[in-house]
Amino acid sequence: MKFVPLSYNLRSLVVRRGPTLLTVLGIAATVATVAGVLALQQGFATLYAENGRADLAVVLRPGATSEGVSSFSRESALRIAKSTPEFALDENGAPLASLECFLAVRRFRVDGGETNVPLRGVQPQTFRLRGDELRMAEGRNFVAGTDEVIVGRSITGRIANCRVGDVLTINVTPFKVVGVFECDGPFESEIWGDFDRMLSALERFGPNRVLGRLAAGADVAAMDERMRASPDTPAAVTTERDYLTAQTEVLSAILVFLGGFLGLIMGVAAVFTATNTMLSAIASRTHEIGILLASGFRPFAIFLSFLFEATLLGLCGGVVGALLVLPLNGIQTGTTNFQTFTEVAFGFRITASVILTAIVFSLVLGVFGGTLPALRAARMTPTEALRRQ
Amino acid sequence: MDLLRIVWRNLARHKVRTFLTVGSLVVAFFLLCTLRTLVTTIQSGADAASASRLIVQSAVSLFVDLPQSYQTKIQGVEGIQEISKWQWFGGYYQNERNRFAQFAVDPAQTMSIYPEMEIIEGSQEEFERSQRGVLVGEELVKKYGWKLGDTVPILPELFPHPDGPGVAWEFEVAGIYRPTARNFDASMFLFQWDYFEETIKAGSGEAPGVGTYVLALEEGADPTAVMGSVDALFENGPQRVQATSESEFQKQFVSMFGNVPFFVGAIGGGVLIAILLAVVNTMLMAGREQTRDIGILKALGFTDGDAVKLLAWQSMLISLLGAGLGLGLAMVTQEGIAGALGSMFPGYRVTPSTFALGAVLAVALGLFAGIAPAWRAARLNTVDALAGKD
Repeated sequence: MKFVPLSYNLRSLVVRRGPTLLTVLGIAATVATVAGVLALQQGFATLYAENGRADLAVVLRPGATSEGVSSFSRESALRIAKSTPEFALDENGAPLASLECFLAVRRFRVDGGETNVPLRGVQPQTFRLRGDELRMAEGRNFVAGTDEVIVGRSITGRIANCRVGDVLTINVTPFKVVGVFECDGPFESEIWGDFDRMLSALERFGPNRVLGRLAAGADVAAMDERMRASPDTPAAVTTERDYLTAQTEVLSAILVFLGGFLGLIMGVAAVFTATNTMLSAIASRTHEIGILLASGFRPFAIFLSFLFEATLLGLCGGVVGALLVLPLNGIQTGTTNFQTFTEVAFGFRITASVILTAIVFSLVLGVFGGTLPALRAARMTPTEALRRQ
Repeated sequence: MDLLRIVWRNLARHKVRTFLTVGSLVVAFFLLCTLRTLVTTIQSGADAASASRLIVQSAVSLFVDLPQSYQTKIQGVEGIQEISKWQWFGGYYQNERNRFAQFAVDPAQTMSIYPEMEIIEGSQEEFERSQRGVLVGEELVKKYGWKLGDTVPILPELFPHPDGPGVAWEFEVAGIYRPTARNFDASMFLFQWDYFEETIKAGSGEAPGVGTYVLALEEGADPTAVMGSVDALFENGPQRVQATSESEFQKQFVSMFGNVPFFVGAIGGGVLIAILLAVVNTMLMAGREQTRDIGILKALGFTDGDAVKLLAWQSMLISLLGAGLGLGLAMVTQEGIAGALGSMFPGYRVTPSTFALGAVLAVALGLFAGIAPAWRAARLNTVDALAGKD
């Protein structure tokens, strides 16, 4: 079978540049909108999932779905930190485990409005078991036992009183901001200070969770089962990675659903537009189709040719759409994660999978939009088609 | 009138194209309407607020309770008529999908602070008297089929029952209320503070804290002065408080959505651009195809103005038809969508302002898409048009 040369379709698109341009832009707007939502989901989900560590154990009260609603008495938390055999030891033989307190505190945004910022009280051991995850970007770390705090880089510009040298008042205690830290994970949206000073500022008594570095080969499932059954200090254990992934499930699912919903609905509109354009293109080229048929091209070749043209139209829209969302990459934004009720700052991330989804989506739009017009072209009879001017 | 018939015939000539264009308008307007309703739903909470009520909460965190001892101190402030303790219970009915707002409250005080609640079944006396009594909104009754006197088990997440983990708290429907004000939450579940406190005490031995204090102001009292005095009471601890107007309190939750309304707006913009291009494209194609027809009309003595009207009306009709159907679809599906969204967006309802916005957009779209082909039709030279030349 002889195929219609591809250059025929390329030239046709160029000749009818007005409708081509409008259709490409319409598809591009659709693709860009869907890709934008997916980029948001990627930014959010990877922030948590990629940065949670599998070698850290998070110990919570059984039944607590997040650290905010978990609590231990100081004694039981200390018992867990000191006497859990799965925790690794430091060079002095002390377990690499620490107590943490956590509270979502009310803070004002720089641009007005209020939000909930995670406040975390940590012990010196926390920094040892985390290694070099936290990097000081500005200033210095806080000194244990003092009223000093450090803040994550992604909130310094968003939340009031979070720059180095500022005074941040928690309940009635003023804390001095002495440093800004960077971190790849969600901690970059948090305020960190000394565990005991935080508890006293907040008028609280016990920690929310215990964090421990797992020794090589520790079995988390067995550990969880044993600690849940403990009669005096029941506790639930997960790895940090599983914990953080669970914290994002709802918002992530909402964004994926929104992307799919938009894709479906806007996709229908885009397919209709592409069909219209192609139908009009075929109507005005009836005479040409007659010539093609008369010169020996099979109807199937005609069908393929127009389907190709529509797919090309879709692809152009996809490429333009992908280019349109590219500048979003890295733009920081924030919303409340309603599973934890705290604000998380995260960036749009245009990952390879976002681009790939956008391109595939645009191809699908082109194919769907082109099928009906291409069928119509293939069904023409040469004599009638030639008669039409 | 004749002109309108020609307009109609022209639309009917390309049935497939008209159908596809109208179809894409329908889905686009349905989407715009749905997206905007999500935003108005998020923001509507603040509209139900009354100016004569104040909320006192911890200035530190939403998750910090206030001591019960604050109640008498706050009551001493001049200008306060009534005060009630409120505590968010945060449980669910039967399974985790069935969530609604449950609060432990002081029954008599709450009834006097919220005159918007009209009891339609049962009575306030019953609510105050029965130990496990609960006052429920009529929406909840509709949804779960409860009747007066029914026992309703609620599984706790924040306040475990003293009888052990997984044991439900049991309440008894003592009254059903209907809101008399628009936007007032018709699905609250309000129960006796005393029952709450006694049950908690039986477990931990300690009295529970108070989530928020809700105050009703005396007539003529200055809210700002009262808020200032309440805040000043606890300026030096142990827990600093913040008194706000009810609407500010609600706005704080709206504000938590952060940039979400902006994103939804941006998505709506994307939808609008895509649909605008589609309609313009269709109208340009239609205009080009009707070149000869317009030549004939002009030769018959129709004016340039008629030619403009011919194309402008086609554009407007398509746009209005599509938008009308799209808005209709949004209205028909709102029950289903509200059900699917469940407790995340309570009170999902397409507002009249959304319909108005849709109508304005439809007219603007119809006008704009008609401009280029109508302009071209007016300028067409009769002879050239008859020859089918541009």
